[in-house]
Amino acid sequence: MACGLSAEDLRFNRDIRPILSENCFFCHGQDPKHREAKLRLDIRAEALMEHDSGFAIVPGHQEKSEILKRLLTHNPDDQMPPPESNRKVTPAQIELIRRWIAQGAPYEKHWSFVPPEKAPAPKLSDASWARQPFDRYVLAKLEAEKLKPSAEAKPATWLRRAAFDLTGLPPTPTEITAFESDASQRGEAAYAAAADHLLASPRFGERLAQDWLDVARYADTHGFNNDSARSMWRWRDWVIESFNANLPFDRFITEQLAGDLLPSPTPDQRLATAFNRNHVINSEGGIIDEEYRVEYVADRVRTTSTALLGLTTECARCHDHKFDPITQKDYYRMFAFFNNVLEYGEDGRIANAVPLLATPTREQQAELKRMDEAIAALDRKIAALKTDALGPAGLRERLAAEDAKLLPKSLKPAKPTEARILAKEAGIDAKRGTTLSVWFKASSSTADSPILSALDRSGNPAGVGYGNGRELRLVDGEIEWTASQRHPAYATIIRTIGANIGPGTWHQVAVHIQGKENAATIALFVDGEEVPTQTRHDGVSGAPANRDWLLGSDGKAKPFDGEVTGFRTYPSILKPEQVRQAFWLQSADKISEPQRKAADLRTLRRHIGSTQALQTERDTLWTQRLATVRNLPTTMVMEEMPVVRQAYVLNRGQYDAHGEKVEAGVPEELIAPWPKNAPKNRLGLAQWFLQPQHPLTARVVVNRFWAQLFGVGLVKSVEDFGTQGEWPSHPEVLDTLARDFVDGGWNVKGFFKSVVLSSTYRQTSDASPELYARDPENRLLARGPRVRLTSEQIRDQALAVSGLLAEKIGGPSVRPYQPESLYKGIVVDAPYPSTTWDLGKGDELYRRSLYTFWKRTVPHPAMLTFDSPDREFCSARRSRTNTPLQALVLWNETGYLESSRKLGERMLKEGGADDASRTTFAFRLATGRMPRAEESAVLTRTYAKLRADFTARPDDAAKLIKVGASVPDPALSAVELAAAAGVANMILTLDETITKN
Amino acid sequence: MSCHQYENMHSRREFLQKTGLGLGAGALAHLLGGCASTSTADDPHINGLAGLPHFAPKAKRVICLFQSGGPSHLDLYDPKPELERQFDKDLPDSIRRGQRITGMVASQTRLACQPTRFKFARHGQSGGEFSELLPHISGIADDICVIRSMHTEAINHDPAITFFQTGSQLPGRPSMGAWTDYGLGRMNDNLPSFVVLISVNKEKSGQGLLARLWGSGFLPSAHQGVQFRGAGEPVLYLRDPEGLTRDQRKVMLEGVNELNRLNLATAGDPEISARISQAEMAYRMQASVPELMDLKGETKAVMDSYGPDVNTPGSFARNALLARRLAEKGVRFIQLYHRDWDHHGSLQDMLPKMTRDVDQPAAALVKDLKQRGMLDDTLVIWGGEFGRTPYAQGGANREKYGRDHHGKAFSIWMAGGGIKPGMTYGSTDDFGFNTLENPVHIHDLQATILHCLGINHERLTYRFQGRQFRLTDVHGRVVRDILA
Repeated sequence: MACGLSAEDLRFNRDIRPILSENCFFCHGQDPKHREAKLRLDIRAEALMEHDSGFAIVPGHQEKSEILKRLLTHNPDDQMPPPESNRKVTPAQIELIRRWIAQGAPYEKHWSFVPPEKAPAPKLSDASWARQPFDRYVLAKLEAEKLKPSAEAKPATWLRRAAFDLTGLPPTPTEITAFESDASQRGEAAYAAAADHLLASPRFGERLAQDWLDVARYADTHGFNNDSARSMWRWRDWVIESFNANLPFDRFITEQLAGDLLPSPTPDQRLATAFNRNHVINSEGGIIDEEYRVEYVADRVRTTSTALLGLTTECARCHDHKFDPITQKDYYRMFAFFNNVLEYGEDGRIANAVPLLATPTREQQAELKRMDEAIAALDRKIAALKTDALGPAGLRERLAAEDAKLLPKSLKPAKPTEARILAKEAGIDAKRGTTLSVWFKASSSTADSPILSALDRSGNPAGVGYGNGRELRLVDGEIEWTASQRHPAYATIIRTIGANIGPGTWHQVAVHIQGKENAATIALFVDGEEVPTQTRHDGVSGAPANRDWLLGSDGKAKPFDGEVTGFRTYPSILKPEQVRQAFWLQSADKISEPQRKAADLRTLRRHIGSTQALQTERDTLWTQRLATVRNLPTTMVMEEMPVVRQAYVLNRGQYDAHGEKVEAGVPEELIAPWPKNAPKNRLGLAQWFLQPQHPLTARVVVNRFWAQLFGVGLVKSVEDFGTQGEWPSHPEVLDTLARDFVDGGWNVKGFFKSVVLSSTYRQTSDASPELYARDPENRLLARGPRVRLTSEQIRDQALAVSGLLAEKIGGPSVRPYQPESLYKGIVVDAPYPSTTWDLGKGDELYRRSLYTFWKRTVPHPAMLTFDSPDREFCSARRSRTNTPLQALVLWNETGYLESSRKLGERMLKEGGADDASRTTFAFRLATGRMPRAEESAVLTRTYAKLRADFTARPDDAAKLIKVGASVPDPALSAVELAAAAGVANMILTLDETITKN
Repeated sequence: MSCHQYENMHSRREFLQKTGLGLGAGALAHLLGGCASTSTADDPHINGLAGLPHFAPKAKRVICLFQSGGPSHLDLYDPKPELERQFDKDLPDSIRRGQRITGMVASQTRLACQPTRFKFARHGQSGGEFSELLPHISGIADDICVIRSMHTEAINHDPAITFFQTGSQLPGRPSMGAWTDYGLGRMNDNLPSFVVLISVNKEKSGQGLLARLWGSGFLPSAHQGVQFRGAGEPVLYLRDPEGLTRDQRKVMLEGVNELNRLNLATAGDPEISARISQAEMAYRMQASVPELMDLKGETKAVMDSYGPDVNTPGSFARNALLARRLAEKGVRFIQLYHRDWDHHGSLQDMLPKMTRDVDQPAAALVKDLKQRGMLDDTLVIWGGEFGRTPYAQGGANREKYGRDHHGKAFSIWMAGGGIKPGMTYGSTDDFGFNTLENPVHIHDLQATILHCLGINHERLTYRFQGRQFRLTDVHGRVVRDILA
């Protein structure tokens, strides 16, 4: 559209820079390694300097400017761009450059690097059309293009459009009728009320989450060829909740980038940081750890850059960016922010990779709170009861004798020689169940030292068999248990919470070893009582080797600082009271007087009538609580290492080619200054992104929101605001919206409300073929949006109109219908989680598509067919294709067939008595409008034909209605239902049905 | 050309690209006896890019027989008597040259030389050397070009396979088939132009495959490969539900199209007419795909030539025969996968199982194409993502051994479609560890495949995130020595 500009229209950024960027900067840009003839054209001062062949650009003098000669010549030796580059500058572009030089060759800073400011109000012949300030700029552009806005869409059309945009679901006919009536009475107020109603719906968070999950590359598996399951859905639910609560977008971003670094972070703030852990993780045996760890960090840079800067920093990973002034060093300074996580390249073979966090659901949080309160209440009651000191004389001894019978015979190991115990005499058998116990006393430090170890630390840590075995350590006053096949990638590591073990006293630890030895089956007891644990890592995927135990040593680091004794194993899982008794019996010579008194008191209470019931109740509750804690869902989160990992420029982007050392930082000169006093970590980075004068963040975000509504961004390249990106169709609209978004407190719901109420949005999308031909993508906004629905919306709508939709929000991902043989021949031949698709039950088949289990290497085929991305990487824009496979999905996929049949049932039960009213009923449910007479005629005619067919073939009717897990209503005739299902399938397949118009 | 014309052309192209498997509405409407609201030219190369092919192609289509897991070049195509002499001796540092090794053998104290236990012999007039495990492929020695000097940077499956298929070790790029579909468009009006066939092995299946290997990356998703299956529906969602007849589907389709046309008259969006033609093509695919999968028309001689497995749906033999049928029907890129070539141990038992699956059908396919006069314009490629190490994983052993992944040198072969027949190209050192003469990088192979299709690999590009991407990144050179 650059042609036909008058002289005063010419602008460097819009008209000249893209030509230079596309054709010249590759060799004459900012990358010194590829710079030819020492000529640099991206900076004016350099472009005007004299070179061997003269001056490239002489302002005002086209005849002296070498650049024009080179563009115009046909001599292949001199021609620019060189013929072998496959780049070509058109005559129209050369003319632009000529005029630009004639005008003095002015440069501008690239538009997106200048903070957005509101533009002056445009001159309009008639501004009455505008409802929102930005409508004026849209109108001004239309006037310049000699176009008029389209008429306003009908109220029902607007409501359906807004409902899809704000909730992802269609409005019901009742809602449409109510709104039509309200709009006819109250006009604008009705629109505002309807928008508020949609924004207040909990469906809003689900709708907004869909696009953010693409950006955040959310998935339920790790990717790569093992592609086993991960658990990140608690983060997905946090996203939904945050949008629903209208969390200001700056907080939404801050918590995701750096929630863990906020002062006293809440569990939710730490959960939010899972954003940066959604990347793919490789568990292929034998990969080089560092190679993949570097990839994960690079993925965070890519995602953050695309999501917030709209810049492709990836090019600068291997060399200075050819087009945008981002150097390789800039890239690795950004990289340094995300480089400080204690993680491993190889991880996630069967579960979440480290670091991870227990993330109770809202229900579990409430349940834990309830249990804690109940326990505290019981404790108060118990403490208030008189227990008659320590009971009658001799009771303790008598109980000890009785309780000794409770305990099975322990396997006492042979006398340790040189701190060695033979495994065969104290073998662990997790299948049968084993309880292990040991006593220790730290003399000074409890920081980190081995109590017991059978973990093989010989060999190369990079080897696949490194670190097989089990281990018990004292770490920062807590007990840590490890069961490992390969340390740390395939290890389960759990640590007590609140054991608070200090030096100088004896303690006993007991461990329940059973089942798969994962975090949910291991229990740790300290001094006879089970202690809650946190899962540090939960990757063990098979039985660790049984090896010799070392007492007080792990064979490598310093030995235990203190004494370790009394090691024994029991060939069963001891009951809690047995563990307690074991402690009590063995404690005589070890524990201090106050410790003993406390233990005696607890023991006696279990035997004294007045407290027994209360104590039993408390024990039961405590056991329940421990089980709940052990089974909490975990989420992979960000966690800083105590000592910052040094970052380097990586030559050619190679993980092991360390170049210059770098510190965390951002391209301040190019984009925005570092905020005063901001810490040089992810929190500071968040503050940098979200400073009010940041030129990119708000523009990039509102542009993506805009694209959700209109199908294409104001900047079409939503993922690229750099010099190679597209010039915004309406720069003033973009800047006004960005400015208002920031100045209005990053109010997401406010943004959507203002746009859906705008005159621009409220236009009809019906337009002449000429307008569609002139502006196929609606860049001029001379009509309303008309965009095919997303894969999620198409399915959700079918579920909603058929009455099948299960409206539950959040929870683990579900598995609706999927072709049975889909994984055959594709997925890894190993029993990792997610190598099978276990079809969901009940409501799980009918949840919104956002909750469909997302397996990265084999995503749900119906979703892929409707252009869902594979979520391997950040994706800010979906393609929108139109293919025969889409027709096949809508015709034959089990879910769509079931929805068709259920919609058919509704036609028969709710749609009135005759074919016309029944087809009208279904048509309106799906399209939001009444069919016209000729449309009705097509539907009733086909309906009659199908009925006649099925009447002749009732067996086929019976077969057709059987599809899906739900049972057809036996009261309905199979022939009638099959015919209605056929018509319903047609209606669900209509272009208008699967389109937001 | 005025700017306005340019805009129109641009938008038409975008429109056509979006419609993927699209067929001119005119032709389809004709078929169904309806009338089309908009008509696009019934061009056999519909929705390919203007200006492509860049030059006259030698190959019209590609059949890629991908052997996933890393077949051992040392036991199949690249005999190394020196390994026999060096049995159980350490791989010399002068050969290893600091090359990184995988975690599988990182704990091994020694890298001991491991000779093959299989015999090699020369075959055909060209005298190419093949292992005894390839009795049939050695029989087509004079038709194929074995490249012994392949190399790749990747040393693990996922990145290496992704590299072979998409030109990048990391996910996100379009696959070769997607690139060719994007560039050249379709040659038929009732089948996809990029078809994937995955063989289900008799025993186990090994490493996982990934949909991204036939994905469209950042290209419009219409260019992704369509999997044809041996079991269940040949194409997902192809079959109408039980109880619904073909006539009923047609009646429903006609009704829907009529409604869509009525809507088009009001709404004006040309996307609607594209939707009409896509539905019509879907209807035709419902007939054409089962026809294609039905082998009734094949002679016994042809069936027998592919070996006994041809009677088992989903076998490599069956898929090889289907590949020929797809090629006949104008499918542009046919991608086969056979898995479980990853022989870290028990190579002596596992490798013969693999070659038993693959050897005869692969050779039969080449012969079958040749007999039908199609080999000249069909490019066939056989190979995996990397080779295997000349040193043993575990210890060296005359009888039982395994080999680790090895990317520095491995072998593949190509045939037909512009490739010189009866040739062995490139060589490796005495250990088969490093390439020696005429090294061929994965990007070179990709450049050569595109070249055979009439595409300059440097000029088939797609703008994404501000950069012109291509299959070969910024690398690749056409291996002219092997061009016929």
